[in-house]
Amino acid sequence: MSASVIELSQIEKDYPGVKPLDKVDFAVRPGEIHALLGENGAGKSTLIRVMGGVTKPNSGTMTYLGKPVSWQSPKEARAAGIHVIHQELALFPELSVAENILVDTQPRGMFGLISNRARHVRAAEILAQLGVDIPTHAKIDELPLADQQMVEIAKALVGRVRLLILDEPTAVIAGREVDLLFENMRRLRNEGVGIVYVSHRLEEIFEIADTVTILKDGQLVGTSPVSALTREEMITRMVGRRLSQIYPPRRTAPAGGPDVLTVRNLKAGPRVRDVSLNVKVGEIVGVAGMVGSGRTEVAEAIFGTRAVESGVIEFDGKPFETKLPKGSIGHGLGFLTESRKDDGLFLGLPISANIVAPDLDGITKHGLIDRKQERALAMQQIQDFSVATPSPDAKIGNLSGGNQQKVLFSRWSRIASRLLILDEPTRGVDIGAKVEIYRIVRRLADSGVGVLMISSELPEIVGLSDRVFVMAQGYVVGEIKGDALGEEAIMDLAVRSVGHREAKMDQRAEPVG
Amino acid sequence: MSAITVDLRRNRLMLSYLIVAVLLVVLAVAGGLLSDRFLTWRNIGNLFQQLIVLGMVSLGQTFVVLMGGIDLAIGSLVGALTVFLANFLEWRPDLVWLALPLALVAATAVGALNGLLTVVLRVHPLIVTLGMSSIIFGATLMYRKEPGGSVPRAFADIAYAKVGGIPFSAVVLVVIFALAGLWLQRTRTGRSIYFVGGDREAARLNGLPVDRIVVLAYALSGLCAGIAAIFLTARTGVGDPRIGAALTLQSVTPVVVGGTILAGGRGGVLGTFLGVLLVTMLNSLLNFVNVSSYYQWVIQGLIIIIAVGIHTTRRR
Repeated sequence: MSASVIELSQIEKDYPGVKPLDKVDFAVRPGEIHALLGENGAGKSTLIRVMGGVTKPNSGTMTYLGKPVSWQSPKEARAAGIHVIHQELALFPELSVAENILVDTQPRGMFGLISNRARHVRAAEILAQLGVDIPTHAKIDELPLADQQMVEIAKALVGRVRLLILDEPTAVIAGREVDLLFENMRRLRNEGVGIVYVSHRLEEIFEIADTVTILKDGQLVGTSPVSALTREEMITRMVGRRLSQIYPPRRTAPAGGPDVLTVRNLKAGPRVRDVSLNVKVGEIVGVAGMVGSGRTEVAEAIFGTRAVESGVIEFDGKPFETKLPKGSIGHGLGFLTESRKDDGLFLGLPISANIVAPDLDGITKHGLIDRKQERALAMQQIQDFSVATPSPDAKIGNLSGGNQQKVLFSRWSRIASRLLILDEPTRGVDIGAKVEIYRIVRRLADSGVGVLMISSELPEIVGLSDRVFVMAQGYVVGEIKGDALGEEAIMDLAVRSVGHREAKMDQRAEPVG
Repeated sequence: MSAITVDLRRNRLMLSYLIVAVLLVVLAVAGGLLSDRFLTWRNIGNLFQQLIVLGMVSLGQTFVVLMGGIDLAIGSLVGALTVFLANFLEWRPDLVWLALPLALVAATAVGALNGLLTVVLRVHPLIVTLGMSSIIFGATLMYRKEPGGSVPRAFADIAYAKVGGIPFSAVVLVVIFALAGLWLQRTRTGRSIYFVGGDREAARLNGLPVDRIVVLAYALSGLCAGIAAIFLTARTGVGDPRIGAALTLQSVTPVVVGGTILAGGRGGVLGTFLGVLLVTMLNSLLNFVNVSSYYQWVIQGLIIIIAVGIHTTRRR
């Protein structure tokens, strides 16, 4: 196998008390898309860091383009043609596309000064190579995420890239954006680039990857062609146990109770133009649609963090109007936001404080917080939601994504006695934790809580929801339930409705007042 | 795996305390060796008498830093308040009962205004409080360019009074710190300061009154500056517009030495208290061995950079 772009043999990485990589073999051939699978903490990131020169292994050998190497720095690895695209994009939002693409190698013009023109010409060449049409003068933060990602890939093409490593690139994009990314990955593959692809979405692995390597607890489970494995087999190998079923059983009978939430003709800003939907007691209602179709904004309008222009929101049959999260929380409404690190968790604080945050009143006696009660409550919640942690005093930033998410569920389950809004509840969470989260959501619904779940993962929407509303460009374009509930039906609505709605919009553009 | 890392991290604050405590002992021993007058009751009493001013401004700074801000107006505010107190009391020595509450209310109001400006204008607190500092300093100089005024004997006594041999001001300081610690740890509002400092957006989505907490933290900082100014005026007997110039930086030193993270959300008043002891003892020791105050400035700067450096590198 000397034809490999990179070959790692018996790689070991030790930290005190932890062994993120235990004698791992890994090789990528040129012109191959090699998926790297494993739960969070399986060692994928460490392996990527070793290849990218960020982390030095304690033992083992690495061969790159036939020569033994030992990177001293990320810079060295990059100069040799290894480019890593991390989940969090490393772009300068205030700088132009061209400046970002050529960040390492600013082209010089006269007198050795950086030449603006040369820069834009070179950047445009690279983008053309990728087959994308992005203006080189645009600022990064003016671009949609998918384009930003293309800029990241374009950075890799400045030098000669031999190995491209993508760490969960689809966590923040969906639909057509993913297609564009895949198209470019295939193009690069056909040019002989070796590609390492990390993703939690198994569907994507089947669509794009040629080979798959599965890691578990820092050890190699195996490497094989993607076509040789079924989805079930992949999951079983990743998790180490058989998952009889990923999704918990649905309700046996459709929910017949009263609405806990009714939204009629809601209008709130440019992304929520006309939204009507409802959630019944004990029901899980999915909200599907492209990124940018207004799903999150609807949730914000209901929770009270986005101004409502017109329309009706009814809660338990009564008109509900709140401008503050505090009011919503008081009514038994919870909102588990999309980005747990930015606006969900208090990363520096202990687990217990994170659990009690919205309900300090509940543990306060005579004006003082009852520490014992706080701790007992946290321990109970940690147990109920099987959060893997040695103590409620542990800092939440040290937990894995799945466990952090479970803490958020334990927080909001106490508050959301009536309605829980979930925005991408399993983003960046490994399959084992996903399964647990699905069970938690179903358990909450069974206890009588209405759940409104926004998700970009169609299998999750289809597998967990009792009913689904599909959004496109600020409108609810359809409701799917019962036997009709399927990925294709949803995609069909989400994509097809776009043109239709635009036509309808034009009619509405008549004078209004 | 996580058990080990978590334990280390949990004890990180304790470790900060331990380091400071060890340094305190080292300083005390060094002081005792260098001068036979350093470890006398008289000097220790003096030392405790000096604690209150630095202690109060550092406490105020702790509230603000924990909440995720910074208050650079503290020094000017203390200076302005000493000028107000000394001149007011020179004019009407009988109105101490009025002058003190007035000073405290004014100080709190200035603090609250700082907070309001950061909330309403969404300007970075560094800029708001630096601007406020300049405004206060300039306005004070317009009124009095030189140190002046005087205070009645009874008022001066609060700086030197002793309770059972212990300086009254040190007792006040310990009580206030204890109350502040209890308030931060055990009340909803106190806890909310940590939440807001930890992640402001998350705090908002958890239904906490973020803007009010921000204003409150700055108001408390103002109030603390007010208390500091009262004791400072009592001790010096004059109002000096420039006396606070050094206090702003000095108020930050014990906070960061005590392990409170400048980004907010982590730390506490115990660390600040130990930091105040350390800085005060160090300055006293340097005075004892006749090191000029210029060196003390240099050392202060070194301490603050090293302390923050230690905390950041340990966090990686």
